[in-house]
Amino acid sequence: MWKATVKGLLAHKLRLALTALAIVLGVMFVSGTLVLTDTLHSTFTTLFDNVYQNVNFEVRGKAAFTGSAGTAVRNPIAESIAARVRSVPGVQYADGSVSGYAQFVAPNGKAVTTGGAPTIGVSFEPNPQLSSLHLRQGKAPTTPHQVVVDAGTADKYHFAVGDQVRILLAGPPQTFTVCGIAQFGTANDLAGATIAAFDLPTAQQLFNRVGLYDAIDVLAAPGVDQNQLQRAIARVLPPGVEVVTGQTVANEQSGSINQALSFFSTALLVFAFISLFVGGFTIFNTFSIIVGQRTRELALLRILGASRRQVFRSVLGEAAIVGLVASLVGLGLGVLAALGLKALLDAFGLTIPYGPLVFQAHTVVAALVVGIGVTVVSAVSPARRAVRIAPIAAIAETQATEDRSSNRRIVIGSALAVLGVVLLAFGLTKPAIQLVGIGAIGIFLGAGMLAPLVARPVASALGRPLARVLGISGRLGRENSMRSPRRTAQTSAALMVGLALVSTIAVFGASLSRSATASVDDAVSADYIVTNGATGAAGFSQSVAAAAGRVPGVTAVSSVYNGQFEFRGSVTNLAGVSPYRLSETVTLRMDSGTGAGALAAGDLLVDTTTATSKHLTVGTVVPVKFARTGDGTLRIGGIFKPNALLGSYLVGDQVFLSHFDQPLPVAVLIRSSQGASPSGEAAVKAGLSSYPSVKVQTQAEFKKTQQAQVNQLLGLVYVLLALAVLVALIGIVNTLMLSVFERTHEIGLLRAVGMRRRQVRSMIRSEAVILSVFGALIGVAIGTGLGVAFAASLKQQGITDIVVPFTSLVVFLVLAALLGLGAASWPARRAARLDVLAAIAAE
Amino acid sequence: MTLTGEASPDATASPSGPAARAVGLVKTYGASDTVVRALDGVDIAFERGHFTAVMGPSGSGKSTLMHCMAGLDTPTSGHVFVGDQEISTLDDSGLTRLRRDRIGFVFQSFNLVPTLTARENILLPADLAGRQVDPGWFDYLVEQLAIGDRLAHRPSELSGGQQQRVACARALIGRPDLIFADEPTGNLDSNASAELLAFLRRSVTEFGQTIAMVTHDPRGAAQADRVIFLADGNVVGDLAAPTAEAVLEQMKVLGN
Repeated sequence: MWKATVKGLLAHKLRLALTALAIVLGVMFVSGTLVLTDTLHSTFTTLFDNVYQNVNFEVRGKAAFTGSAGTAVRNPIAESIAARVRSVPGVQYADGSVSGYAQFVAPNGKAVTTGGAPTIGVSFEPNPQLSSLHLRQGKAPTTPHQVVVDAGTADKYHFAVGDQVRILLAGPPQTFTVCGIAQFGTANDLAGATIAAFDLPTAQQLFNRVGLYDAIDVLAAPGVDQNQLQRAIARVLPPGVEVVTGQTVANEQSGSINQALSFFSTALLVFAFISLFVGGFTIFNTFSIIVGQRTRELALLRILGASRRQVFRSVLGEAAIVGLVASLVGLGLGVLAALGLKALLDAFGLTIPYGPLVFQAHTVVAALVVGIGVTVVSAVSPARRAVRIAPIAAIAETQATEDRSSNRRIVIGSALAVLGVVLLAFGLTKPAIQLVGIGAIGIFLGAGMLAPLVARPVASALGRPLARVLGISGRLGRENSMRSPRRTAQTSAALMVGLALVSTIAVFGASLSRSATASVDDAVSADYIVTNGATGAAGFSQSVAAAAGRVPGVTAVSSVYNGQFEFRGSVTNLAGVSPYRLSETVTLRMDSGTGAGALAAGDLLVDTTTATSKHLTVGTVVPVKFARTGDGTLRIGGIFKPNALLGSYLVGDQVFLSHFDQPLPVAVLIRSSQGASPSGEAAVKAGLSSYPSVKVQTQAEFKKTQQAQVNQLLGLVYVLLALAVLVALIGIVNTLMLSVFERTHEIGLLRAVGMRRRQVRSMIRSEAVILSVFGALIGVAIGTGLGVAFAASLKQQGITDIVVPFTSLVVFLVLAALLGLGAASWPARRAARLDVLAAIAAE
Repeated sequence: MTLTGEASPDATASPSGPAARAVGLVKTYGASDTVVRALDGVDIAFERGHFTAVMGPSGSGKSTLMHCMAGLDTPTSGHVFVGDQEISTLDDSGLTRLRRDRIGFVFQSFNLVPTLTARENILLPADLAGRQVDPGWFDYLVEQLAIGDRLAHRPSELSGGQQQRVACARALIGRPDLIFADEPTGNLDSNASAELLAFLRRSVTEFGQTIAMVTHDPRGAAQADRVIFLADGNVVGDLAAPTAEAVLEQMKVLGN
């Protein structure tokens, strides 16, 4: 029986190669992501291990609470603790360090941006054993005017020792002299972050840490018992301060970077899964067709004594071999893909330090399990159909009729679809993203099973204009697409999934975009909005507001801060804004209580949604906790209507500044007596010219930027979904090839009675266009539904408007038709080149 | 005998001479060592308005001859003419147009397009050419072939005899210079065979249609005006006004 399986494989090399391609792409994506993740993980772990290899202990403030991003928020500790630590016997050396915001200004006057990585300033540790920075050139900073620049930034912007460099700080910008260029451990920089290192007193000054340290690094004397020393140090520390090993810090640091990267790899794996899912449809379809075409052959095997189980195993065995080969190829290509993904990360500003590609056993296991698993599972149903072939089919003239079990299909398909919708709805309200995913899968499978019901009428309707325009070849293409509704539906199912996801994203993105701009209208009354020009950047100097206030014509300036605090035991976001002339910059619609007055009085404002869900009224006193100042209470001074700019919790800037350590404003809102005019804008820009990191925009410009950001994100998602669409197209190519093969005789006949090659090609293309537009139509319909559901479920999160972008959806349909044309080109050429005589003879 | 008249549109273009002829037709298959000469220098002519049967044992080259003369296969050497046009030099597109516009086919296995109705199958060559057919001629053929009530049906809903009659209508609708019938009765029962042969005979006699038919059946061959016998790629016999008995006799001779 195995011989028959293998012979079957060899006989259908071409179609199986195409099928395998669908799996190759998915496995490539999976293994590429895993290789990249492992590589990054190993690179950063090595980097931090290396950096902290000589640091025995670190003394630091205990984490007040862990922020939602998973990073611990710590308070600085008193300088005096360093002297106490030094006095502990066995401590050879101990020195404090501080860090804060510092952003270089490039020689061309523009701020140096990183595209997401932090721009940090640190104190330079002179002891080379403790320091994470290793001077490549020059010397350590010793005066308040000197700075050490990381090698990555220095190389990119050609900073040399002795150059003047302007640096943006929390306070006003300052100019320093480059005294040295340093590497971070063995890397040029830290994953794309820029680092400015000052001498310790200067750093303390700049980062508002006079008399304070963020941490104290400790070197143990040789031969001292580490555990005993750690306990000894702990004994001299005041409450709220802890001592941990260097290894712990290294693990935390690499852990937090790896966590940030794991979001990226999870996202990639999701898209890999999507393309595998689409690939599964393709495989299912191919094996269904192959089993259909081999009815006689399989029946003959049954006549010759093959058991049902043997036939079943034969088909699944074929699938397993295809899956194995595809997985191995995908695995190999995955390593190449990892290099490509690394370049993609680079393009997003996440510079990856040099390190060899890490190829672990679990990548191989995952690739094989996923590749073979998807292939075999997708082939189960066709294999079961093969088992049902009666031996008599080998000699009977009639082909197996299809759609016998259409009632069962309707029942199972409807059940799956309904279950999917229920799970999806439940997942969206909960919210539980896994349920949403499973629900979507259910909907797709259900739709795939129900699609054959509408395939014939829809294909007929879609084909009508083609038949009219192209004449007989269009009509034949239309007839062919209607000939087997099940095959038409199965072939287009893959494209349906792809297009559904693309449409979901389109609807979601349009809603997000519209909501973002609408919320600007709703939340901001200022003429100008100042933000940090770079995406993902922390903020900008506190002194920007003051500088803006000095611009002629400016009547009101308001800084907006953002931070995290604990409200009734859970960590949440808090905004701070200055109450002075608030109404000129911020639209705050009060539901109860007062706005600016309450803020000025030091009260907390919450929005109506929060007030309702947490049963808060004006006058309630609630327990809060800040990382820096610890436990306390705040009185609710007012309840405002939801405001997208400010979020759910709002305090005045005085309260905010008293609880946060040197926070950076995320936005400054400006009202000018000239209104939003070119001259007014020019004046504001001129007034802020010494802060090149900020971007001054009118409301209209700001909205455009918001939309552009949404669109950029959409673009990225579209690119990742393109892989799934590609896999779907492979499926269409495959089906058409199989159909051409199956209809060799018929095509030969058409050629014999005078069909020209061009007409043959146009017949196959018509069929492809109908197939793809059919899939796209259902996909767009499902995707629109999903997108609306997603958007609606995020109403609380600020998606207030639901927009269905009809133009985009129509463009998708047209694109699908064009892609179908593309997919048809090879099968069409092949069909046109069939040798007429041989085709007629084939029977 | 050359019939001219309204039934044959090309008759005015070349009123005399055979509908198709081959001169020194050679067709070989395979490479130098194992070369098979399917046609070994055949000279043959199908007279206009005649019903010519081609007979011969398996491997005699009769199918190859038909394929070469119908523009389905290209000869190794020699010349094939349809009317006055030499077709051995035509490219694929020229051959396609020739088949579409000047030749009709009736195959053993009916060969209708399964997705098209009977009417659509009949109109297929005209549709492929983007031409209108003469509705009177269409109605006449449909009536003659008694398929009027089957026109909206697909091939799978028709009997073998009905399918072959549809195929005949498809071959005749364009009034081609020549119809090639390749064992048209091979898959039919005796009643349907007799009806079909009678119709083919009538289309020659009444409309002046030229038909060349490959057959194994002596009774079928007896309907023809002339029978040509092939063996080993050569013409080995030529019988005018044949009877079934004469054909059988000749076949016995060749069978040895």
